[in-house]
Amino acid sequence: MKWLDALIQGVLLGGMYAQYALGMALMFGVMRIVNIAHGDLVVLLALIGITLSVAVGLGPLPLVLVLVPLAALIGWGLQKFVLNKVVGADSLPSLIATFGLSIALQNLMLEIWSADTRSMSGGGIEAASVNVGGIYIGLLPVLILIAATLLTGGLDLTMRRTRFGRALRAAAADTEAAAMTGVNPRVVYAYATAIAVGILGLSGVFFALRATVSPADGPAQLIYAFEAVIIGGMGSIWGGFVGSMVLGIAQAIGFRIDPGFGTLAGHLVFLTVLATRPQGLMSKG
Amino acid sequence: MTTANTALLANAGTLAPPAHDVTVIRHTGSSRIAAAACIVLLVAMVTMPWWGQSGHIRWVVEFSVYLAIAQMWNLLAGYAGLVSVGQQAFVGVAGYTMFVLTSNFGINPFLAVWLSVLVPGLLALPTYALLHRLDGPYFAIGTWVVAEAVKLIVLNIDYVNAGSGMTLRVMSQYSLHEREVGIIWLCASMLLATVGGSYWLLRSRHGLALTAMRDNPVAAESQGVNVKRLRFLIFVAAAMGTGLAGSIYYMAQLRITPAAGFNPSWANICIFIVMVGGIGTIEGVLVGALIYFVADRFFAQYGAVYMVVLGLMTLLTALYARQGIWGLIVSRIHIPLFPVGRKLIMPSQTATGRPQ
Repeated sequence: MKWLDALIQGVLLGGMYAQYALGMALMFGVMRIVNIAHGDLVVLLALIGITLSVAVGLGPLPLVLVLVPLAALIGWGLQKFVLNKVVGADSLPSLIATFGLSIALQNLMLEIWSADTRSMSGGGIEAASVNVGGIYIGLLPVLILIAATLLTGGLDLTMRRTRFGRALRAAAADTEAAAMTGVNPRVVYAYATAIAVGILGLSGVFFALRATVSPADGPAQLIYAFEAVIIGGMGSIWGGFVGSMVLGIAQAIGFRIDPGFGTLAGHLVFLTVLATRPQGLMSKG
Repeated sequence: MTTANTALLANAGTLAPPAHDVTVIRHTGSSRIAAAACIVLLVAMVTMPWWGQSGHIRWVVEFSVYLAIAQMWNLLAGYAGLVSVGQQAFVGVAGYTMFVLTSNFGINPFLAVWLSVLVPGLLALPTYALLHRLDGPYFAIGTWVVAEAVKLIVLNIDYVNAGSGMTLRVMSQYSLHEREVGIIWLCASMLLATVGGSYWLLRSRHGLALTAMRDNPVAAESQGVNVKRLRFLIFVAAAMGTGLAGSIYYMAQLRITPAAGFNPSWANICIFIVMVGGIGTIEGVLVGALIYFVADRFFAQYGAVYMVVLGLMTLLTALYARQGIWGLIVSRIHIPLFPVGRKLIMPSQTATGRPQ
């Protein structure tokens, strides 16, 4: 029962990671852009959400309606004004540029919100749980997992079935050839990053409801998202989801073995995948 | 591509011995002045405990540490193309080894500093074996995860007091003056080994291979450079150099915790100094280290705003000035301080050439 519980909690934890990993799978996995500020953006949106909920009294749902467009706008601007200038065969410039942005964002948030941890009150939903055969399952984590599954499915369909998805895959595969067929890679990339960061608007609200948030939390969220995408396999949207589940389960089981071993177990699983199957679990290669 | 051309010229030189009247210029006026200034500064540094204030000695130690770890990262990222964001693993591991050797084994701390660099060297072997097949961003994230994993392991080891860290009580048997002499001499040796060693390496025959590898690894391989072996050696050497700096830093701090020793900010410092100063040059590292040191020393008291500025500087460098501040300077005035190139002067030319 202890291990079944760990497995279920791991899957639910994976649902949270899948939300970060989704945007990362799109940017890192498909577009090959390394966005070191990904985790800091989640934290920024969560902190804005907490401030809005306290100052204006917005509930979680209205907050999502405010934060997702704001996040999408941030993503669009990030791609248009920063990342489009550094995309190319060499990933070092995008890594360095977003690294600088990450440092600036973290310290800016520290100045605005101080180093305190905060959390969002969701009117009871964050504490609600159901007892299934002796195992307590939180309502909020289940909602997060459902949202992550729907988003992943939706994004996967968008990538495979729509004109935008084809244009994005073409631009990522061969920028110049895509441009010759009438795709404007820069515009397509700007929309893709708007989607990737827009999803973080939703994750930010969930993050603030589920856990405490402080300005220095970004790098940890970033590393989980990267691990999930690489475990799952680059280029695959569902790969990021599967990787998140593997990571969540590894951490939850590790935590049951020893509370100090949780995060480490996740890292060890990641390094094992890197050593034995660097192309990822879902990759065909 | 001028550097690659130089490499080609030098390779051609080994095939057909050059005519006797061809001369090779390796120094300039500015570089001779810089070399003399370095000697003066080094002498001033090692005599500092007899004329300087304790506070200023601490500044010199801190600055030397930044310079050393940044130059090691410069070799990694600038020449070997290995972008590591996990250098804090080597800082922490070496620092902890030094504390364990002195506190638990009673080894003289000034000797323990040198012994402690063996452990980051050993840690570099499995790390490299695991990560070397990965390109660019994979490698970077891999190094970061390794560093996080090492930190979490150390956090769980009771032998080193887990999360509460260790204190270097042994140092209290030395007077303040003795400690200052010991640490400042260690710093001088560290700078000679890391920065001086890199300069010597880059000016040597291997420097040609490194420069060729920096400009184009595939072309360098085809010219007979063993890129794989060179990358491996640089990774291990950089781990040991970074570890040496970490040991000295925590010896001066007298205290180490997993949160400090394995802090990702060590990697941040490396990236900021090298990218803003100018990647692939020793002068760039000097410029970057000076900016970081001044900002950290004099603006940290006003809160985190200076870090916002440093972050934005890194962003702007990546967007508009890939060669960093030193790159902007050399594109206007040509004053190489540490030239590593070779300039061949043919008999028909007048000796106006300048090494790059």
